[in-house]
Amino acid sequence: MTMTNPNEDMLEDIFAKARAATPAPADDLMKRVLADADALQPRPSAASVPAMGIWSRMLDAIGGWPAAGGLVAATVAGIWVGIAPPASVEDLTATMIGDEVSISLFPTDLMFDAGVLTDG
Amino acid sequence: MNVSPDHFAGAPDEALLVAYANGDGRAARSLTARLLPRVLAQATRMLGTQSEAEDVAQDAMMRLWKVAPDWRQGEAQVSTWLYRVVANLCTDRLRNRRGAMSLDQVAEPLDGAPSVVAQMQTRARMAALSDALAQLPERQAQAVSLRHLEGLANPQIAQIMDISVRSVESLTARGKRALADIMAGRKAELGYDDDEPE
Repeated sequence: MTMTNPNEDMLEDIFAKARAATPAPADDLMKRVLADADALQPRPSAASVPAMGIWSRMLDAIGGWPAAGGLVAATVAGIWVGIAPPASVEDLTATMIGDEVSISLFPTDLMFDAGVLTDG
Repeated sequence: MNVSPDHFAGAPDEALLVAYANGDGRAARSLTARLLPRVLAQATRMLGTQSEAEDVAQDAMMRLWKVAPDWRQGEAQVSTWLYRVVANLCTDRLRNRRGAMSLDQVAEPLDGAPSVVAQMQTRARMAALSDALAQLPERQAQAVSLRHLEGLANPQIAQIMDISVRSVESLTARGKRALADIMAGRKAELGYDDDEPE
């Protein structure tokens, strides 16, 4: 048997009245809330966006002058390796793919003369 | 107060919060228009007085603005977070109110016009409800208000209060029984003498 609290009818009535209360925010409250929002809104500080040229910004993006120095050194080294590959690199390629390899950079050659790679 | 057309119609609250944190002023207006009415309603239902409810609503929104830059996307819904903040702010106020019945602050109507009398009676009932909530343990008061004043489902309340659904059921059941017992003593005073709830 379920016992019900006789006071729950009153409570349910009061709950229903409370749920029906949907006060619209007064203009003054809206203004206060928006003023808070404005005051607390994050803004990019002037220091974080310094006035500088595109090269300065690019330099900044890669990590400043020390990084740029490393980048220049790596580029120079890459060019040098491209022009004059060390003997060890030549030996390695010869061992792996043979001495008589002929590769054309033209797309048509790659498409129609691919047999060179397998036949050679 | 007129709020400009919503440029963010259809966007989730979370997206607006990110836009606000990124400096978009329109996002604050849209979020306020969307969230403030519900925040104010929740505070009004728990506290029963307009001025206190407005203070809590402003405080809750201020906390939202403050948390915006650190908002972790996908972790919680803005609405869930706000329900929790408002419930906590309200129980803080209710705790301070214990022993000082706000019903005493409800003035008697000066004339006998039925609408005025009915209005005063509703106000007195809301104040009595709030005072009764103040006498409950805080977690019970929060669970009861979210269930019976906000009309939320138990799983949602569990999320808001960060407890299990079973705990929500237990808190609401005990809280509601205790609330009925507290209110019973004020039945006549609140106009429920004739067993005829309006």
